[in-house]
Amino acid sequence: MVIIEFLLILFITSIFAGIFGSIVGVGGGVVIIPVLTLFLGVDIHFAIGASIVAIIGTSSGAATTYVKDKLTNLRVGMFLELATVAGAICGAAIAAYINSVALELIFGSILLIMLVPTVLKIGEDIPKSPDLKGLSKRLGLTGSYTETDGAIINYNATRPAAGLVWMAVAGILSGLLGIGGGAFKVLSMDLAMKLPMKVSTTTSNFMIGVTAAASAGIYFARGDVNPLIIAPVALGILIGAMIGARLLIRSRNPTIRKAFALVLAVTAVQMILSSAGIKL
Amino acid sequence: MNLKDPGSMTAVVGSVLRYGVLISAVIIVFGTLDLIAASGSADALGSIAYNPDRIPHGNFDVSLSGLVSGLIALQPYSLIELGAIVLIATPVSRVLISVFLFAAEGDKLYMVVTAVVLCLLLFSLLVTPFIPGFQA
Repeated sequence: MVIIEFLLILFITSIFAGIFGSIVGVGGGVVIIPVLTLFLGVDIHFAIGASIVAIIGTSSGAATTYVKDKLTNLRVGMFLELATVAGAICGAAIAAYINSVALELIFGSILLIMLVPTVLKIGEDIPKSPDLKGLSKRLGLTGSYTETDGAIINYNATRPAAGLVWMAVAGILSGLLGIGGGAFKVLSMDLAMKLPMKVSTTTSNFMIGVTAAASAGIYFARGDVNPLIIAPVALGILIGAMIGARLLIRSRNPTIRKAFALVLAVTAVQMILSSAGIKL
Repeated sequence: MNLKDPGSMTAVVGSVLRYGVLISAVIIVFGTLDLIAASGSADALGSIAYNPDRIPHGNFDVSLSGLVSGLIALQPYSLIELGAIVLIATPVSRVLISVFLFAAEGDKLYMVVTAVVLCLLLFSLLVTPFIPGFQA
């Protein structure tokens, strides 16, 4: 395959990955990695290096819109990012001594199981917000946003400690495997902390950029960030993320949750297959 | 820009993200056009060869001196790497500005939380690549 074809295929793939990723709060690796490894014959390490750039592109490309519309909850994001970044550093430190096959099987299975509560909540539009009390109150984990019909939605977070533990797991996972952090972040805010779906995915969108930036140095130094691969990925993903962010603003929570359930299922299957030696 | 006004700080966050993304994209577009002009019809296979036994794994320079000399010569790979570095810097600057954002709101707790996140982030991004145990 000549370079110009290679660039074009990746550019178009990345636009789709950016649209999807920015809506459901993940980095788009779920789309880009299989295309790179299966279709273009790229080594999995380069694919993960490209995924890191894709995550940062999705996060920063969509954030311009999310910041303006005040969807991202910066307090929730920063509080949880404490655990995620610390987890990512620990994950990277122990990566050389860990059997990633077993890990992928375990985490893939957890994601698959989490599909059940996600699907059970599929029609939920605005969650019944719990009272602001305890640790959530002291940490000020509350917020509001404007829905598509103009209604102001006030919400409070619950169980911040549970959220923090989930986030540490998400962080260790990104540090170890370089993928899969976004899905865990959304699940943590959606299922444990009971935030509205839009707030969960856009806050995850903010967080994945920070976590990916934290591990970017290592991938750069190893030479896993291949310019030929990341150029079309970065450009495509930025365009896709800007489109996706505008779509999210106009969508209701049940639509976003359906898209997330789909991404969750594919991510889980990918991880389980990968542990069986099928690198997707 | 008033550092004590949360509204104007949020606007600063917006501008940093917008311009960071724009500058990065423009640099990468130039690098890619440069690459297509130089070797668009060459086979992609040689450029994606992965060498598991040595660092860096790819057939491209990742040293700072290599990046600087490549940029002076307007090498396509160096331009794309610079664009990627600008992109990586956008979430870092967002966290940095958020420290000031919380300070402007008079929120000491989150000023500290965000400052800790920033320190962990900078440590992970800039220091861990030089610690041998992290070079798995």
